[in-house]
Amino acid sequence: MAEHVPLLPGTLDLLILKAVSLGPQHGYGVLLRIGQISRQALVIEQGALYPALYRLEHQGLIESEWGISDNNRRAKFYRLTAKGRERLQTETAGWQRLVEAMAAALGARSEEV
Amino acid sequence: MPARLRSFAKALIHRGRIENEMAEELEFHIATRAEDIMRSGVSPAEARRRALIEFGAVERHKEDAREARGLRLVNELGGDLRYGWRQLLRTPSFSLLAVAVLAIGIGANTAIFSAIDAVMLRFLPVQAPEQLRRIEWVAREGEFVGSYNGSMRPNALKQLVAWSVSYPVYRHIRDNSTSFSGLMTFSGFTQLNLTIRGHATLVAGELVSGNYFSTLGTQAVLGRTLIPEDDRETSLAVAAVISHPYWQRNFGSDPATVGQRIAINGKPAVIVGVLPKGFCGVNPAWCPDVMLPLAVYEILGQGEGVLQEPDHWYFEVIGRLKPGISDEKARAETELLMRQAILQYRPKEAGDLPRVNLSPGGQGIDELRSEYRQPLRLLMCAVGAVLAIACANLAGLLLVRSAARQREIGIRLAMGAGRWRIMRQLLTEGLLLAFLGGAAGTLLAQYGGSAVVRMLAEKNQPPGVAVAANLKIFGFSLALCLLTGLALGLAPAWRAARVEVVTLVKSSGAGADRAPLRAGKVLIAVQAALSLVLISGSALFIGTLVNLESEAIGFKPYNILLFQLDPTLSGYKEGRLLDFHEQVLRSVSELPGVTSASISRWGLLAGSRTTDSIRVPGEKPISTDTHFVAPRFFETMGIPLIAGRDVTWNDRESSKPVTLVNEALARKYFHGLSPVGRILELEEKKVEIIGVTGNTKFGSLRDDMRPSVFIPFRQNPQHSMTYALRSMSNPKEMTLAVRSAIEAIDRNVPMYEVKTQIEQIGELVRRERLLAGLVSGFSLIAVVLAGLGIYGTLAYFVARRTPEIGVHMALGAQKRTVIALVMRETAMPVLIGLACGVAGALASGSIVEKFLFGLTPQNPWALGTGAAVLLACSLCASLAPAFRAAGIAPMQALRHE
Repeated sequence: MAEHVPLLPGTLDLLILKAVSLGPQHGYGVLLRIGQISRQALVIEQGALYPALYRLEHQGLIESEWGISDNNRRAKFYRLTAKGRERLQTETAGWQRLVEAMAAALGARSEEV
Repeated sequence: MPARLRSFAKALIHRGRIENEMAEELEFHIATRAEDIMRSGVSPAEARRRALIEFGAVERHKEDAREARGLRLVNELGGDLRYGWRQLLRTPSFSLLAVAVLAIGIGANTAIFSAIDAVMLRFLPVQAPEQLRRIEWVAREGEFVGSYNGSMRPNALKQLVAWSVSYPVYRHIRDNSTSFSGLMTFSGFTQLNLTIRGHATLVAGELVSGNYFSTLGTQAVLGRTLIPEDDRETSLAVAAVISHPYWQRNFGSDPATVGQRIAINGKPAVIVGVLPKGFCGVNPAWCPDVMLPLAVYEILGQGEGVLQEPDHWYFEVIGRLKPGISDEKARAETELLMRQAILQYRPKEAGDLPRVNLSPGGQGIDELRSEYRQPLRLLMCAVGAVLAIACANLAGLLLVRSAARQREIGIRLAMGAGRWRIMRQLLTEGLLLAFLGGAAGTLLAQYGGSAVVRMLAEKNQPPGVAVAANLKIFGFSLALCLLTGLALGLAPAWRAARVEVVTLVKSSGAGADRAPLRAGKVLIAVQAALSLVLISGSALFIGTLVNLESEAIGFKPYNILLFQLDPTLSGYKEGRLLDFHEQVLRSVSELPGVTSASISRWGLLAGSRTTDSIRVPGEKPISTDTHFVAPRFFETMGIPLIAGRDVTWNDRESSKPVTLVNEALARKYFHGLSPVGRILELEEKKVEIIGVTGNTKFGSLRDDMRPSVFIPFRQNPQHSMTYALRSMSNPKEMTLAVRSAIEAIDRNVPMYEVKTQIEQIGELVRRERLLAGLVSGFSLIAVVLAGLGIYGTLAYFVARRTPEIGVHMALGAQKRTVIALVMRETAMPVLIGLACGVAGALASGSIVEKFLFGLTPQNPWALGTGAAVLLACSLCASLAPAFRAAGIAPMQALRHE
């Protein structure tokens, strides 16, 4: 099992958008998928997921629909909207830049200065 | 942003469903998680327990989720409202009082505003009223207007502004204009004698051009409106349309009314249609019962040749601008056409022709607006002051109450409530009160507003506008409620925001918190100042009314019955007309109870008058009031005959023209010498003076007694005459006998304007009565409120300082000293308020000046009355708390600690 990494503030929304972009999912499914795509490194407090989902829906980035889950229960499925896809792209690009900048900064050696 | 709004709205509307869905979604999560845990071989109960633990605090997450949807504010508002409502119920008498005070404050404002809306802001109920234009013209005095015959008003540049043109001028403009899709005209108020099924009544009629309704875009609700084909002289029945209320009143809304034959001034007519409800022509001051084509003007005996005469400028014109035509283009074209028309009949006018302006016509004629603009504005200020007083009053009381709640607030703060959250709670309570008061007030305003508008009515005819609930009025009272609520909640909220938790929780119940008292004193000063302005204002209006009513009028108005007869509406003319009046007068003079009777054209103080220009040969002409009278006019009215003789039945058409003059004229022209036997020139006719009478008022109470001449009525025939009967007892009791005496002579000539001379004078001061009555009512409310405010603040003061006063008493203070101590608390703010009020009253003097008569806004009596009333009120209000303080037993006070 991989070591757990604490979530940076603001990254939960981005992770949810990413998880949902891979196909419609219910809340519990989003949780499992984030675990799966982060190779179990990122663990989210379960209850905190729902306020985040509602916030994203409130902002019109995802939308929801009731459907039937794999275990034959009624569940609410979330799907990315066009606006959400756009947001995901810009946030991903922004994240990449941040990571590169941080890596460059942290990897700097004294002779390079 | 729209997504958020939609989501918020959805959340708000489907709150219940969303709650259920949220519960179901979380339940699904926990159940599925439990299933996953069970796969590792745990019992279902244990699996569920672990799933729940992993999930965390369900309710907290739910609350966060609600907030994510923006619902938290709504939920909290609901809570605040519930809590506020409970607070109100805890002190029901205070709450009821507060709601009543606000209902009066907001109700009075809404009532006056709805009257303003009806009179000033409303558009005519016609198609696209914004396209309508009213034609007005301007000329310099002494030029073109020298020969003009019609009404006009001077403007700021000393030019004369008029709205009417002569019929030939109107016709020329109408037939040649390319800028208007229609140009129509109308006669204004015309009294008509209408006979339905043999029964004659007088109605308010208006004669209109054939394109009147097509220009306005008005359709009949039954039958048809008038069309250009109706507007020509005809030997057939005259086409008539009737108003909706007249149809309801006199025909019981019978659909078979259309086609019914009637007679108008004795001429056959047929009802062709019923006008829509609310349509009252283009003059909101009155509502016509019947509308007829203008072409029948002469047939109905309304005046000969008026439609042909180019010098009779009697007709106002309203047009509908064609789409895409600019005002300036239409104006220039109309001016050109008007000048062309004038030059056709008066080729030499060239230099000084009138200039034309177009003014908006969508609100119709502005008679009512220009007369009541200022009184209504004044009333709006007065009710604004009442509401401000009500707010200051309640804010003071709420402040005192919030002081009593300091501990509760302190505890809530100590337990972690946000300050903004507590301020919001207090603001919500203020708003709750304001909206409860506003709801009650809006109901009051429905009646109040209509009552005010009814008081503006003229010509014994309901006005053409009515108060109607609409969005504008709703928005106004909503805004008032919001403002009031904020004003009420702000002071307590502000204080709550500055509460120091530690001191509060530590302090005992009777902390020496003086801040609300200071604020309360400021509020008392505000109330005193505003009340003083209102009271001195009402003293000024009452003074004006008293001055007007006690103004020397030169005759004895008691026990006189007045009525009018217009036999021309039944076809009487010339000699027959005069004989008819003489016959009726002789007949009613002999009725039992009548001590004296006579007739004149208008009567005295009827609001109408005839003015003429006369001169003594060889001297400059002067302007006079002209009366046309029968014998015994002076005896009947109680005017002294100073020299010479009265008019007699021998002063007839064929005899020598004679006149009486009043003292004012005699003094002006004859300087103390007796004018009897001298000659006057009147309309180029020489008349001999046969007597001199005392001076009287004629047109209005405000005018001076002007030089007047009295001409025998047979020597200058008029249409209608006003009868005056002096009786020994209540003159109204004679009405029936008089009516049958007239019917015995001709039952087709109806009596109208039946009233006593006293009632007649009352009508002249209607506007003054309205102002005096309403403003006094408002001041009474203001005084009562100010008293309440003073009482409330002092009672709080005494309660707070009971221990201190007890100590004073224990140390031997006299009761007198304690009473003085308490009274001093409000004396200062009241005095400061009075000083500000006097300054305010003096500063606002110019607003009321033009409504006053016989006194100035700076009248010391009015200000003195205001100050005296307020001081008395504050004295009364502070006596009870002062004596309660004086009655405090030292021991009890110390135990209180």
